Amino acid sequence: MRVQAIDHAAMLPLYLASAAAVLALFAGRLAKAAAMAGLAAAAVAAVAVGLGPDRATFAVGDWHSYVADDAAMGAAALFAGLAVLVAALSGRQTGEYWFLLTASAAGGIALAGARDLITLLVAVETLTLPLYVLVARPGRDGAEAGTTFLIASVTSSATALMGAALLYAASGTVHLAGLGPGLGGAHPGLTAAGAALLLSGLAFKLAAAPLHAWAPLVLERAPLPVATYLASASKLGGAVAVTWVVFFGLSDVASAGLVIAVLSVASIAVGNLGALVQRRTVPLLAWSGVAHAGYALAPLAVIMTAAGREQAGPAASAAFAYAVFFVLLEAGAFAALTAVRPAAGSVLAEGTPADRAGGHGPGGRIAELAGLWKAAPLPAAVLLFSVVGLAGLPPALAGTFAKVAVLEVLASSAVWLAVVVAAGAVVGLAYYLPLARALLIGRAGPAPRRYAVAVALAGLAVAAVSLAPQVVLDFTELSR
Amino acid sequence: MALMLVFAAALPAAGALAVWGLRRRPYAHWVGAGAAGLAFAAIALLPVGRGSGAWLAADGKLTGGWWHQLSIAWAPSLHLEFSLAVDGISWTLALLTALLGVLCCIHNAVGAEQRAADLLGADRTASGPLQGAPGTVATGGPSPAAGGAVGAPAGSAASDPLGVPAGSVETGFPSPAAAQVHGVPAGAAGDGRESPEWRSPVLTALLLAVQAASTLVFLADNLVLFFIAFEAVLLPMWAIIHRYGDPAARRRAAAKFALFTVAGSLLMATGLFVAVADTGTADLGAIILLGGVGNDVSLLVFALLAIGFAVKAPLWPLHSWLPDAHTAAPTVGSVLLAGVLLKLGTYGLIRVAGGLAPDGAADAAPVLAVLAATGIVVAGLVCLRLPEIKRLIAYSSVGHMGFVVLAFAAGTEAGVRAALFGNLAHGLVTPLLFFLAGALKARTHTGSLGALGGLRLAAPALAGLLGFAALASLGLPGLAGFWGEAFTVYAAAERGGAWLALAAAAAFGAFLAAAYLLRMLRRVSHGPVAPAAIGIGDVSAAEAAVWAPLVAGTLLLGLVPGPLLTLLAEGIL
Repeated sequence: MRVQAIDHAAMLPLYLASAAAVLALFAGRLAKAAAMAGLAAAAVAAVAVGLGPDRATFAVGDWHSYVADDAAMGAAALFAGLAVLVAALSGRQTGEYWFLLTASAAGGIALAGARDLITLLVAVETLTLPLYVLVARPGRDGAEAGTTFLIASVTSSATALMGAALLYAASGTVHLAGLGPGLGGAHPGLTAAGAALLLSGLAFKLAAAPLHAWAPLVLERAPLPVATYLASASKLGGAVAVTWVVFFGLSDVASAGLVIAVLSVASIAVGNLGALVQRRTVPLLAWSGVAHAGYALAPLAVIMTAAGREQAGPAASAAFAYAVFFVLLEAGAFAALTAVRPAAGSVLAEGTPADRAGGHGPGGRIAELAGLWKAAPLPAAVLLFSVVGLAGLPPALAGTFAKVAVLEVLASSAVWLAVVVAAGAVVGLAYYLPLARALLIGRAGPAPRRYAVAVALAGLAVAAVSLAPQVVLDFTELSR
Repeated sequence: MALMLVFAAALPAAGALAVWGLRRRPYAHWVGAGAAGLAFAAIALLPVGRGSGAWLAADGKLTGGWWHQLSIAWAPSLHLEFSLAVDGISWTLALLTALLGVLCCIHNAVGAEQRAADLLGADRTASGPLQGAPGTVATGGPSPAAGGAVGAPAGSAASDPLGVPAGSVETGFPSPAAAQVHGVPAGAAGDGRESPEWRSPVLTALLLAVQAASTLVFLADNLVLFFIAFEAVLLPMWAIIHRYGDPAARRRAAAKFALFTVAGSLLMATGLFVAVADTGTADLGAIILLGGVGNDVSLLVFALLAIGFAVKAPLWPLHSWLPDAHTAAPTVGSVLLAGVLLKLGTYGLIRVAGGLAPDGAADAAPVLAVLAATGIVVAGLVCLRLPEIKRLIAYSSVGHMGFVVLAFAAGTEAGVRAALFGNLAHGLVTPLLFFLAGALKARTHTGSLGALGGLRLAAPALAGLLGFAALASLGLPGLAGFWGEAFTVYAAAERGGAWLALAAAAAFGAFLAAAYLLRMLRRVSHGPVAPAAIGIGDVSAAEAAVWAPLVAGTLLLGLVPGPLLTLLAEGIL
């Protein structure tokens, strides 16, 4: 048996992120600096590898388990960058916090390169496991959030594993590239069941219906920096996992398209209706995030039809691009929100008495944001821009481009789904506009001014992709 | 010259930012007016050195047709290019947009200066007792009457979200007086009339943003850019209505406007992208030249686009946002809504929907025509009973736009020209009516027809102008409104058969328009002078200057329609 060489250059971002995690665990007081520097280095390495030729390693025949192409490295850079943002927003924390955050980001980077079901599922677990600890703030609410997240996550992991097992049974391989040919002669019922279980389980990470219910509760009660991570990097993980599985593995399986269509329509309906009645900021963003998961999944549903299956490449690219724009906007919104809410103290140590006494999380009510424009112009501007972008309206063009990307694919293959997306976006306006209005109007209360650099950088990133969307669209263009 | 295309859209946008940045300076309004004026000049220069209008094939690419065009790559993956182009049809509409933008900015600037002068006067009377008896400050402050007189406008201006009260900065308002009334609930000062805060420079900035986005819509040669510009109009217009509208109705009206518009524009976007997918290009001119999309999707594309544009136009029964938005919006907001935003809908319907899917348009023409004719008659009947002047003018727009859509649906050459002409005429006459109604409401503090009367005696020049605008609106021969409506009826009748009934309905609608506009004139201008109209001032020189271009344009289009019709005939459709 020949020992194959490992392409270490392809693995470089993952090595750097893992090293940062280990370093953070033992660096003591320098843990934050070590984590941020290591993650930043991983992001730079990912960009550098991505700009070079496509790389792949861990081959079985022609199928590779780990690929470092443009899409993978773009996603990896984004995972690392978002983790750096969250780290910058976290203030003082104990050493374990930095280890857990960095480990989760390393899971994301591994996920970006994963091209077989085992690597993919392990990477998703690596991304999720540290969050069990991070979401649980001290006190009853925090424990409840942590438990909810744990149970929902374990259930969905089991579901996804079951689906993966069924697909393995049907096709005889776990490599995504092998699923297509392998499923050709398989029992359609087995394939459909496997696809349904796998995709529903992975959609949990994206907080798509029907496994969405954890998101509003957990995001509301988690510390705000962790909520930022959950809403951005963790969701990107879900989008990447679903997109990779559908595009690289199941793009010839019509039933997978049907599953995605159901998930998408359900998410759009449930998320928008849920968001309509929210009076608190974080649950509003969380519920609307469910709707956005539906928009991101929608283009993948075109593989239902034969005509759509020829469009699988553009469709998956649109889904991925939507997810990237969306998580950038979410990161901007949550970063700004984190900056203007009172500090919650250390995440892993004792919370403040106010945290434990109240039945609600640190995000606060929408009304509490009134007049933020006057009190804290920079975070207010970033939050406003992000919210307008989430509504999909110019001048926050990042959101408009995301919507255009999705609608362009749907218009050519599934007009009815385009109409569903449009209807969802109209409902979305009904809750985003009052949120935007609250920021501008009203008497300003005192607002802390923290993390100005982090918020400014998040705002700059969103503004940059608004002006030059091709930067995102280039690396989100998927090819086998 | 192609660079003028960029200036046309970029100058108002830059002006909006500049005005917003300088919102605390007294000259901010004039900066805005200057930016709008420069944009107007840039657009006015566009016919210089224009192309012949003929299409040429060079290097496998079609050029020409447009007077000027310009294209910059932006996001090729989304078929998005920053490509602008202009021809006779878009030029006239862009010019109208820029003209109305300039007029609205000047209207705001003049209003702000008057306000500053008024406040200065009130300030002097209010501070008199303070200086005479300093002891009262410690105990009871200034007399309640003086505090109320000064404080009411200042209080509501101080609650301005984006800017700082313009008046108070300009006049050096004593801050204790402003602080004293800070608790006055917003809108308390605005009962029944326009709230004074409409003179804030932020409003001018928002107007310029609407102008920039609308100009971009008219000049866009790329469908994705067209969609983005179409969407960009929404937020500033929403803010204008929501923030500066009539306090009683603005929230609901703004929300309704936003939801209707977004629903329409997303359906339109779907239609546009179906067309892009079918033809493989997003170049508007190229798709029109190639005869539009394939037969199998033509009706789908047209239906999606037509629903989207029909919301904006608006076409009955999708019009219900319009009366609310117009009634609630401040004067300049109504002017831009009528003069520019409705034109986005009709322009889109005629050029984009008609151009991308000519077959679908032909198939759907009867449906469109029936809806348009129904709209004309319904609007006429509703207007006969409306008790409020702004709402009446707003509803009359539904009728006028019905004529435009009916003429377009007729599909003949005369019909399309009548549609384009009527579109422009409405863009001159209805804004004039809104300016006049705004001036009337500002003077009398009421818009109710029942509470008005005798304007002829109280303010003869204003009554005269109102009569002129009403006659132009009802389509008196010799004024701008006539040609569009007359040729609409002619074009519909020309089709024969069932179209004759629609032509008759349209003619009946024109008759109803005469009835309700004359009713309005009778209530407002004639009769004994109503209490509300006693002692009101007549047209000021500044107002006359703002309205003069609209009056002149109405007369010009009415008396010499030929050159405009020639210009429209050159357009790419």
